[in-house]
Amino acid sequence: MQKGWSIFFGVILLATFLIWFAAPFFGWWLPENISTFGGGVDNLFYAILGLTTFFFVLTEVVLVYAMWKFVDRGGEKSVYTHGNHTLELVWTAIPAALLLGIAIAQIGVWEKIKYQSRMPAPDLTVSVLARQWEWRMRYPLDNQQFHYEDEDQKAASNLKSRLWAENPNFDDVHAINELHVWKNANVKLWIRTLDVLHSFTLPNLRLKQDTLPGKTIPMWFNAEKSNCEFVVRERSTGKPVTLAFNSKTKLVEVVTPSGREPLEARVADLKGELETSGNKADNWEIACQELCGSRHYAMRGRLYVHADEKSYYAWLQYSRGAQKATSLEAAVSMR
Amino acid sequence: MSVSHSHTTETHAHPEMSILRKYVFSEDHKIIGIQFLFTGLIMLFVGGALALLVRLQVGWPNGTIPIIGRWFPASWGEKMSPEFYTMVFSMHASVMIFFVIIPWLTGAFGNFLIPLQIGAPDMAFPKLNMMSYWFMWPALITIIWSFFVEGGAAGSGWTSYPTLASAGMPAGSGFQSPAGPPSGYGQILWLVSLLFVGISSMMGSVNYITTIVNMRAPGMTFFRMPMSIWAMFITAILQAMALPVLTVALILQLLDKTLGTTFFLPPAGMAFGNWHTGPGGGQPLLWQHLFWFYSHPAVYIMILPAMGMVSDIISVFARKPLFGYKPMVYAIAGIAGLGFIVWGHHMFQSGMDPRLGTGFMLATIMIALPSAVKTFNWLGTIWGGNIKYTTAMLNALAFVAMFVIGGLSGIFMAATPVDVYIHDTYFIVAHIHYVLFMSSIFGIFAGIYFWFPKMFGRMMNETWGKVHFVLTFILANCTFYPMHIIGVGGHPRRYYDITIYDVFQHLQPLNVFMSVSAILLGLAQFIFVANFFYSLIWGPRAERNPWHSNTLEWSAPSPPPHGNFEETPVVYRGPYEYGHPDTEQDYAPQTDAKGPAVVAAH
Repeated sequence: MQKGWSIFFGVILLATFLIWFAAPFFGWWLPENISTFGGGVDNLFYAILGLTTFFFVLTEVVLVYAMWKFVDRGGEKSVYTHGNHTLELVWTAIPAALLLGIAIAQIGVWEKIKYQSRMPAPDLTVSVLARQWEWRMRYPLDNQQFHYEDEDQKAASNLKSRLWAENPNFDDVHAINELHVWKNANVKLWIRTLDVLHSFTLPNLRLKQDTLPGKTIPMWFNAEKSNCEFVVRERSTGKPVTLAFNSKTKLVEVVTPSGREPLEARVADLKGELETSGNKADNWEIACQELCGSRHYAMRGRLYVHADEKSYYAWLQYSRGAQKATSLEAAVSMR
Repeated sequence: MSVSHSHTTETHAHPEMSILRKYVFSEDHKIIGIQFLFTGLIMLFVGGALALLVRLQVGWPNGTIPIIGRWFPASWGEKMSPEFYTMVFSMHASVMIFFVIIPWLTGAFGNFLIPLQIGAPDMAFPKLNMMSYWFMWPALITIIWSFFVEGGAAGSGWTSYPTLASAGMPAGSGFQSPAGPPSGYGQILWLVSLLFVGISSMMGSVNYITTIVNMRAPGMTFFRMPMSIWAMFITAILQAMALPVLTVALILQLLDKTLGTTFFLPPAGMAFGNWHTGPGGGQPLLWQHLFWFYSHPAVYIMILPAMGMVSDIISVFARKPLFGYKPMVYAIAGIAGLGFIVWGHHMFQSGMDPRLGTGFMLATIMIALPSAVKTFNWLGTIWGGNIKYTTAMLNALAFVAMFVIGGLSGIFMAATPVDVYIHDTYFIVAHIHYVLFMSSIFGIFAGIYFWFPKMFGRMMNETWGKVHFVLTFILANCTFYPMHIIGVGGHPRRYYDITIYDVFQHLQPLNVFMSVSAILLGLAQFIFVANFFYSLIWGPRAERNPWHSNTLEWSAPSPPPHGNFEETPVVYRGPYEYGHPDTEQDYAPQTDAKGPAVVAAH
């Protein structure tokens, strides 16, 4: 009867063990990773999961077994011992070595994600300004100004782009709760807040950074998978138009029989749309994860990773055109 | 020890005290401990009700709330408003941490056990002790009052991070907050309330340290003290060193909120809508450093005493000496020492320099080591024992089984890159509940079942105790374990409704399961309450030493009179001489001069 307690403990502990194997089959698991460094985070997660599972099984099996084996035997005395030096040394030294191993193994991934000195030269820079309860994104028309090839120019470029993030340019493109980037681009974000703490979190990128009033904080990522393409159609006929992209000047032009015209100038006649797969799993959401007031939960943004640079710049220049358009119709067409 | 002798005689000479002096404004450490116990029990139900409101909202974000929904303002449509929800989870944590766990562990058990287990007639400063309890009352009144002020109680989380918590209106324009209704008056009362809690705890800890250092009975050397006392001693030192920092931080935030100072306001100020606060000159991150410099050690304040009590209880019911007594003491000291240099692990994603994060990570990972040593020693203690499955023992073993989970899950968030992903998700919520509920609360239950006979002179009902234990163990695991899984799925903390997110909404069935379990878990606690109060009045009379335990409190009458011992006890050996091969009985009380030869503590 008394041994039943050991079984009771065993069953509960076994259930907590098994749920880890069942959860992935129900989809209750890490969401798909799309960033270059996310794999490192996931590997570390699995390594720690393996190690902690080993120690969980070890200690709980010993506990349950001891509860079974050493139940009150009536009359008989228990083993009289105050401890064992060798055992103490063993069970201190082995975990110490393993813990030190984990500690050292993770430094590289952390440095890669967060250290400003390790961040790569940006292909794209975005300013993110948080407030209760939205993410205000701002995109420069010219990304070349912050790009550099030589590491010596890194500090100067960083300063220049931070100053841009803190001081908007007249021709910047604005979008609320929408972060646009393209596949395989090194994206640099400068995040700030107008009011309280927020946390820019993108589970699919394995990325998180709190905003701090008074501070402009750098972040970076590189998405390996895309989830959208920007398609431009004739407003009257609905037919897709052909776009030409100059990878040097980053200018997107509409190709017509009569010649080429900048997309930005033709916004009034055209309608641009983001085409996505419609698949829920491809909706990569930005979730605020630092309490910022009552609508904290509703501070939701979305990441659009364009298939290529051309699609991104088409979106950017189309949005720029719509933003500056004077006609109401064009302004509405910006979505 | 002649002083304590005369004190005992003196109390015997004046047995008649008014009821008010004996039970209300008592200077007797046992009464004060019991006062803390009852206060904590009442607040447990306040905190528990708040927890159930959280679970109702998270489980059924679009549903109306039965019965209490009708009391809500008509505009909410019998649902919780998001403002109300932020208030509910903030106050759940605040109440549980500052009004349940800390008062129970240090206030109730610290007070009750310290003089009894070291053989002292009372605390070193009985009046200070009384004041430490009565300073809880302004705190209680303020925190309860805060639910009824404009905007409701504080809703900035139990961590009260600026600038959400600290932003105020310009001088003279009232105490509403531009950041949200629950950050106004309620937040000010929260700060005031915590200041009183801090004063109360500080009085307690000074008293505990002095008592343990100066008032041990003859023969009670430091290394003959039971683990409960070691844990309380180190906890009191932690409190005495960390609390001033929290007090300072609370005062600074109070000044920011009431006098318009800008300690936590950034130089450029902030904009709420079209309104600008004007320039600041402080730093929001400073609060996080000050707060966690206290609150991380506080996490250990909330577990170390339970560890100590569990060590004692396991040894008694395994009928076996505690395995590795000295390593256990050093492990507690190690946890406490390292506990002061790991606060930054709460701030890995805060915008603190990431290089600092690397340093805090190293210290944090290493704190798993003393915790592991403690676990292995508990297992060593039951190995080869003669385990008696009393309700107290079952709760103590549950502590060990669950602390393993809570400890191991901590390694995930100590790893900075993994923390990037799981920070502020339900994985953290799971971790804190495995440490604070599944460990501390099981430790507290173990302590109550174990010391109830000494506190009240009656035994609790074992059968109902076991029913309560079985239900609590199952339901608490059903409530808290799946939080690990939804945390891995990325489910954020403190969300009013996750179903609006494509990336999280598939986790909702688990939320419903946890909410149902939580409600049943709450109901199961009434078994405990019924058993507690029934036994208090009708329980069978307890003998002096019902568990055949060695420590000093069991050599006093049950319940001990004012002054505790009939004569000052003399201690001949350590507290864990169970199952000694040279003696007939399987235990040897510390006061028994004839027991087995004195064995040097290992």
